[in-house]
Amino acid sequence: MPNLIDVHHVARLASLSLGDAEAARFEEELRKIVAYVAQLDELDTRDVPPTAHMQLDRLPVRDDDVKPGLSHEDALAQAPSVEGDGFAVPTFVAE
Amino acid sequence: MANGVVAIAERVRLGEVTAEQVTIEALGRIAAKNGALNAFLHVAHDEALEQARAVDARRSRGETLGPMAGVPVAVKDAICTRGIRSTAGSKILGSYIPPYDATVIERLRAADAILVGKTNMDEFAMGSSTENSAFGPTKNPWDTTRTPGGSSGGSAAAVAARLAPCALGSDTGGSIRQPASLTGTVGLKPTYGRVSRYGLIAFASSLDQIGPLATDVRGAARLLSVIAGHDARDSTSLDVPTADWEAACDRSVEGLRIGVPEEYFAEGLDPEVGASARAAIAALEREGCVVRSVTLPHTRYAVATYYVLATAEASSNLARFDGVRYGLRVDPRHELRAMYGATRDAGFGVEVKRRVLLGTFVLSAGYYDAYYLKAQKVRTLVRRDFEAAFRDVDVLCSPASPTPAFRLGEKVDDPLSMYLSDIYTLPASLAGLPAMSVPCTPTKSGLPVGLQIVARPLDEATMLSVAAACETANPPRMACASPP
Repeated sequence: MPNLIDVHHVARLASLSLGDAEAARFEEELRKIVAYVAQLDELDTRDVPPTAHMQLDRLPVRDDDVKPGLSHEDALAQAPSVEGDGFAVPTFVAE
Repeated sequence: MANGVVAIAERVRLGEVTAEQVTIEALGRIAAKNGALNAFLHVAHDEALEQARAVDARRSRGETLGPMAGVPVAVKDAICTRGIRSTAGSKILGSYIPPYDATVIERLRAADAILVGKTNMDEFAMGSSTENSAFGPTKNPWDTTRTPGGSSGGSAAAVAARLAPCALGSDTGGSIRQPASLTGTVGLKPTYGRVSRYGLIAFASSLDQIGPLATDVRGAARLLSVIAGHDARDSTSLDVPTADWEAACDRSVEGLRIGVPEEYFAEGLDPEVGASARAAIAALEREGCVVRSVTLPHTRYAVATYYVLATAEASSNLARFDGVRYGLRVDPRHELRAMYGATRDAGFGVEVKRRVLLGTFVLSAGYYDAYYLKAQKVRTLVRRDFEAAFRDVDVLCSPASPTPAFRLGEKVDDPLSMYLSDIYTLPASLAGLPAMSVPCTPTKSGLPVGLQIVARPLDEATMLSVAAACETANPPRMACASPP
């Protein structure tokens, strides 16, 4: 159980830019929520299998056929920035 | 809009009223009342009238009309509608116009329903009061100083005020049932996999399920019949037969065994709400139901379990909002990582950031086993509680929410207190079970109270029989009898 959550590290993982005041507020709130969640430790779950999803065993698998999807034009229509026939993004460099 | 879904569709089919007349009346009520309620984010005025005229034209050509003929439907803004703005209550999708219809929308159109508009919601369905909308809160039509619940609060308020006789919502941890309870409407979360999620803007994919809200139980049953069924475009959609859910509403409940989970009548329950739920259960007993106490011992762990699993899934689902393919882009330094961060910082509200951070944390290296895996295991225990209970009873009845509608602003700064308002709806969500809220006796001050009914997987029929019996004792009431 961490006493402190490195909220700047978590924000980087989540691709969120947070201001310092916001980060301090979230750190305090997350600490309280995580302390509440710690009550799950009361339960012995060593022999309990996890549930990731409901009813996966009943789900049908469809045939692997190619079906028409969105047109190129429709797929690009909501993009904030388009160049040529693709999504335009700023340049990026290796970190 | 005095009539419910079934009556309107019947009158349109018989030609007693045109779809256009029904639509004009609904649009008129929306124009008169939405300013005070903020239930709709977008009114599809022209599209609705066009659809209505097309339905009337088909009738005049002698064609058979669908089961939702001319019925106005309000649609939660998390559900994609082709050519109609769909924001999920978020600034990051503030001007997003989907290029396709969700499967449920295709099915509504094919059933001759009229889509009158898109309803307000907590941003990305994260909330229990609709106060987390980027576009202002929705007010409860019974008392506009109170919330309608959430996250499908706009849909619930629209139905309660009869701006539409029915609506679509989505329920991840109670987001249909809790607002239905707080607004005196009928709200139904189907079995996980019963209704296609294709075109629903995802929050937590192992929990999300689209379902109906309506003025009455039969209306909810009709709407469920239209939207349910297998869809190859949703890999979690079940290929199982649907049932005649309207016929189920007329079935006797005599001999049905009702389990009353004692954990749902414990500390934190408003006494008036508890009394109202017990009165509704007593009325069912007089109808011939057999009532017995049951125990769901892991109930108290459901909130913690849910907030680990749902936020983990949300942190992954919301990674797609990065300013590249759709939605808002903020690009201060013309650099990719900075663009992601600035876009998400500007586009997401406080609760969404809080949950994305929590979800990212519980999945991060060193904490995954302690939080995420642990919660998945407790989810199994919650599910087993229900499996054990359903060996002895046919449905479970409890309050849907521990309190009646709370005041705007009352819980918005206290995330844990807000999360606890879903304590009675979360367990059935974790177990993937069908569950609904149906109105029972209101409080002395006139605020609605909902009885939650939970059934076995895929047994919506028995749940609807019990709901219809409950409705006989508590007929539908309309909020806003006079303008708010």
